[in-house]
Amino acid sequence: MKSAWSGFKAIVVKDLVIELRARQVLPTMIVLGMLIVFILRLVSEPSSGRVEMPMMAAAALWIAFLFSGLLAQERSFGVEQQNGCIDGLWSAPLDAGTVYLAKLLANVVILSIFEMVIVPAVLLSFSLRVTARWLDLVIVLALGNLGISSVGTLFSAVVQLTRTRGALLSIVVLVVLMPMLIPASFALLVLFGAMPEEVAGSGAMAFVGSFRVAQGYLLAFDAVFVVACWLLFGVVVEE
Amino acid sequence: MRRWFMALSIVMLILSTWLGLTKGQIVPIQRNILYVHVPNSIGALLGFAALLLASVGYLVTERQIYDWIAAASAEVGTVLASILNATGMIFSRAEWNVWWTPSPRLISSALLWFLYVVYLILRTSLPGSRRRRARICAVFGIIAFLDVPMVYISARFIPDIHRPDFSFESSWQTLALVLGIAGTIALAGVLIWLRADLLRRRFELENQLHN
Repeated sequence: MKSAWSGFKAIVVKDLVIELRARQVLPTMIVLGMLIVFILRLVSEPSSGRVEMPMMAAAALWIAFLFSGLLAQERSFGVEQQNGCIDGLWSAPLDAGTVYLAKLLANVVILSIFEMVIVPAVLLSFSLRVTARWLDLVIVLALGNLGISSVGTLFSAVVQLTRTRGALLSIVVLVVLMPMLIPASFALLVLFGAMPEEVAGSGAMAFVGSFRVAQGYLLAFDAVFVVACWLLFGVVVEE
Repeated sequence: MRRWFMALSIVMLILSTWLGLTKGQIVPIQRNILYVHVPNSIGALLGFAALLLASVGYLVTERQIYDWIAAASAEVGTVLASILNATGMIFSRAEWNVWWTPSPRLISSALLWFLYVVYLILRTSLPGSRRRRARICAVFGIIAFLDVPMVYISARFIPDIHRPDFSFESSWQTLALVLGIAGTIALAGVLIWLRADLLRRRFELENQLHN
């Protein structure tokens, strides 16, 4: 137990130190995210007629998260390919699940740093106010972060030896995360004031229902995906 | 044996179509697409269940046959899901004047198609040993299936506009639909069987070539 904990800590610290010293992926992530926000802000020009700014902001935020998150996740096991570091990782006296959790935590931390830059950028450029409900916003973003990272970290280890690494990772992760993005978008739309707290009727948003239910869905997705990926990781990486 | 199943399923499908166009016709005319749409939606879902069972079977037993069944169900399921979405869109346009709208049931049908297609792409792009590829595909099959209950089953309990409110008037209509469902499932089963067998034979031939 103690050695598992120290191994876990060692991998997390190693990944974060590499990232902070060499800055391999965070600058790219932030610039990509800001470009996405910028482009979506350009097309939501108020003079072009009816524009739902909060809707565009929610779209910009999740698209930026997903694609910048993919960069971090691809890097997560990509960095191990150089100099055969991956062999060192597998020969460490740790079970695969612990390696997965450590990599997951490192990815969550990197994506959180990214969020700290990109969320204010979105709020400022789309002129939104969420000061009253900042805690809810943080919770929704954190739950989304964990969900995005959980699936991405698992499949990052899978795609490393393929020819189309990033492209393959992106379709695999996006298709699995698609259902999670419905409550995630719902929650952001409520927080940005584009939708009432509760929605009735038919359609995807009424399917979620209310803000609390959206948070519940996000929590359920996170729990299911983290546990499933943790359990199945060993199967994926075994040679 | 397989030939008989194939012939039986095709006879059932032809009968279902014939009944649907004659005695069991539904008014207005566009609703007759239901005789293709509903069987294919059931088939596509069952195909995913087969994919899940084969994936779990492979991870538990490591027997190659399960991997071939998983691959075959994904290929057949892709065809069924494509027909499901195409007929659904045609019907939606005729009935409600929109090709597509994000309602729970339509999202889940589209998601099913996407999951199948990504599974097939993942299958063809993984290098390395056959065992490793089979394991990774099995894991994706299981993770992908986690999406299905969350969207598909819960969508059953939500009021949704995309179900026309009508019941069958004659038993001919019920018969046509039941024949369609039975025929589609039988045909899908035979195709999976055929495809898995083909994959097995190709594997054996490759082995003979290498030795």
